[in-house]
Amino acid sequence: MKIISSYSIKGGVGKTALSVNLAYALREAGRRTLLLDLDPQGAASFYFRLESAKKFKMRDANSMAEGLRKNIRESDFPGLDVIPSNLEYRRLDILLDGMTKRRKQLRSILEEFKPDYDVILMDCPPNITLLSENVFRASDVILVPVIPTVLSRRTLEQLTGFFTDEELPGDMLRPFFSMAQKRSKMHREIMADLPTAHPGFLKTVIPFSADVEKMGLHRMPLPAYSPTCAAAVAYRALCAEILSQPSLRP
Amino acid sequence: MQNMTSERLILPVGVGAEFLLDEWSCEIRQQESRLLTFWDTFEWGVWFSGHLLYSCEGVYHLCTREEGWPGIELCEEKSVGRRRFWNEFATPEMRAKLEGMLGLRGLAPVVEGTFRRRQDDLRNGVGKIVCRLEWLIVSLGKQQEELLHSCRVIPLLGYEAEADRLEAYLFQAGAKISGEGPLELLLRQSDRIPREYTLRPPFGLKSETPAREAVGRVVRSMLEIATGTVPGILSDLDTEFLHDYRICLRKIRSVLTLVKEVYPAEETLRMRQILGDLARQTNRLRDLDVYLLARDEYLELLPPGLRPALDEMFDDFSAERGIEVRRVISKLRAHSWSRLMGEIEECFSPKNPHPPSPASALPVGPLVFRCIYKRYRKIRVIATEIGVESSDDAVHQLRIQCKKLRYLMEFFAELIPREEVTALQKLLRRLQSRLGEFNDASVQQQSLLNYWEEKKSGSDVALGLGGLVSILYHRQQQVRSLILQAVKEFCDDATAASFKKVFKQPLSVLTTTPPRSSQS
Ligand SMILES: Nc1ncnc2c1ncn2[C@@H]1O[C@H](COP(=O)(O)OP(=O)(O)O)[C@@H](O)[C@H]1O
Ligand SMILES: [Mg+2]
Repeated sequence: MKIISSYSIKGGVGKTALSVNLAYALREAGRRTLLLDLDPQGAASFYFRLESAKKFKMRDANSMAEGLRKNIRESDFPGLDVIPSNLEYRRLDILLDGMTKRRKQLRSILEEFKPDYDVILMDCPPNITLLSENVFRASDVILVPVIPTVLSRRTLEQLTGFFTDEELPGDMLRPFFSMAQKRSKMHREIMADLPTAHPGFLKTVIPFSADVEKMGLHRMPLPAYSPTCAAAVAYRALCAEILSQPSLRP
Repeated sequence: MQNMTSERLILPVGVGAEFLLDEWSCEIRQQESRLLTFWDTFEWGVWFSGHLLYSCEGVYHLCTREEGWPGIELCEEKSVGRRRFWNEFATPEMRAKLEGMLGLRGLAPVVEGTFRRRQDDLRNGVGKIVCRLEWLIVSLGKQQEELLHSCRVIPLLGYEAEADRLEAYLFQAGAKISGEGPLELLLRQSDRIPREYTLRPPFGLKSETPAREAVGRVVRSMLEIATGTVPGILSDLDTEFLHDYRICLRKIRSVLTLVKEVYPAEETLRMRQILGDLARQTNRLRDLDVYLLARDEYLELLPPGLRPALDEMFDDFSAERGIEVRRVISKLRAHSWSRLMGEIEECFSPKNPHPPSPASALPVGPLVFRCIYKRYRKIRVIATEIGVESSDDAVHQLRIQCKKLRYLMEFFAELIPREEVTALQKLLRRLQSRLGEFNDASVQQQSLLNYWEEKKSGSDVALGLGGLVSILYHRQQQVRSLILQAVKEFCDDATAASFKKVFKQPLSVLTTTPPRSSQS
């Protein structure tokens, strides 16, 4: 089982779009997939037409695992299950703080799901918190959507800096370009330049596309309602790129 | 991850997905319709092994049978044209599984049904699928009329409560958890009820049953089985119909002599003649069947170089069989055949007012026990004369006597205390199978030589035949010593004591009627 996270310090960069569409592509590729919506806003859950998770006791690792398991919902797409978000996740930080092995708790909780899934995909809220630290330590790979803007260079450096400070393996970070606009000169320049500084950059680019925005209307993953549009093809290609990497192959 | 397989609900006809539309939002999908032809043998070998075999669009499927529903598929095989015997299938799994279920029996279509399957999605208020409904509608043959209407509610993980609610709703509309499965319904509709088939049915005898009533029941049961095989012989589906037909006739014939003087002498004689004539009509066909069934076995006995030589012989047999089948069929279709069968039926009808005969009113139990005991003693006498150098004929005589004893013990098995005779029966069976092997080898040599006599074919055929005959002769000689061993066991003092203990009757038991009946 591999654990993949969709993470960025910034909001609105396409993390949730990635989680939802990559989860769909993974199950299309025959991987039993569990999407864990860790963002209290619950956008990913919304795209799958799911109500927020029922409250459960989060005293320790065991009760967490049990509560998560009880909240697994089968999506409309066989092979893809989702644990919807819960406003309680806001308290996760405080909760984890009270636990022993506070930075590594999530990993052992997720180990619990090993027999049932090939991949667990986590859609994360922005910012760096104790929860995100747990996410980092739980993940095998962290996918980071990067909109090709000037600011993005700084954001990415902040993140790699944090990894160095915390002695986390930096090669886990796999940025990729999100919402890229070929017609924009600036986008093109940054896309040519930025990957040279970050060897882990994935080759696949997710283009900016109105089809993606329509996910909110359809309330389903993009490839489910528009399987052949450029963005859907890009998400599938990203999935294939991930599966092709021996270290990432779930 | 995995869906719980919920129970299938049998719905009243008319309660379909349309019925749910008022209460639920249900997406009705395209239904897929398949015409399934189910296959089985006369003995229902597939059914009674707990399986179903069906063909659909040129593919045979073997699956488990789960309460009248096709269950887990075990194997499938594409086929052009129809398959009759297990060895006509190609895939190893299919052959291995079917061999045990079919034996020498041939497959015939049993029933056809149209299975319409559809999966609908049931959605909640925000359009999330909460369960899937798997509909299965079955009709007889290609008809439209619904014989069975069923639905399985498959909840999506995390939506079990919704599925429960839906099931409750369906129950209110008359759904039932269990009921006859489609196969039971289809079979009943077409009047094809699987029945255990046996040549040794119980006759419902008691020790005090008067002998004539008892023998009459045995005869009538055998006659019924014989009649049941006739359509199979006429369609020439497999060789076992004729085989069983002959066994039944032979059994009727022998019960009349094994328990003597139960019917008037002249009637008994007449019946034995008719039965003998009927059986004789089919002798040659049965012989040919036996040769042809042994084809592979024969060929394996010879070195590969000699095998093609025998093809000519088997081709001859095969051609002759074609003629013989037609001859037997025309015999069975002839008016004289029905007349003779009618006479047998009438003779053994309980309504037939035959005058009493010496043994007709005797209680069957003691009468039969005495027959068994005498027969056993007779075998012991013959057996003492069997040695390494005995003639084939002496062995043959022993075999006949053993067969008679076996028949007696088989016909009247209900009267015999089972625990006490299982060991005896085992010894008898062993002896009989040795004698059978000996006899087969002897008969086969003779018939190969006869074939040679008639044909005088080329020298390569002679070589093949010669090879076979000497192998069979060798085999026969090997069986001899085994026979001696089996005879010794069957006739030793301990076995004799057991026979005596179980079957010997005090003289007084049968003296109510003058003990005229002398045993041969
Ligand atoms: N490739 C894209 N092209 C166009 N719009 C996109 C694309 N990816 C995401 N969006 C839109 O951008 C907004 C933010 O995306 P989202 O995936 O929710 O970001 P995050 O999870 O990082 O906050 C959403 O309205 C989404 O529909
Ligand atoms: Mg988000």
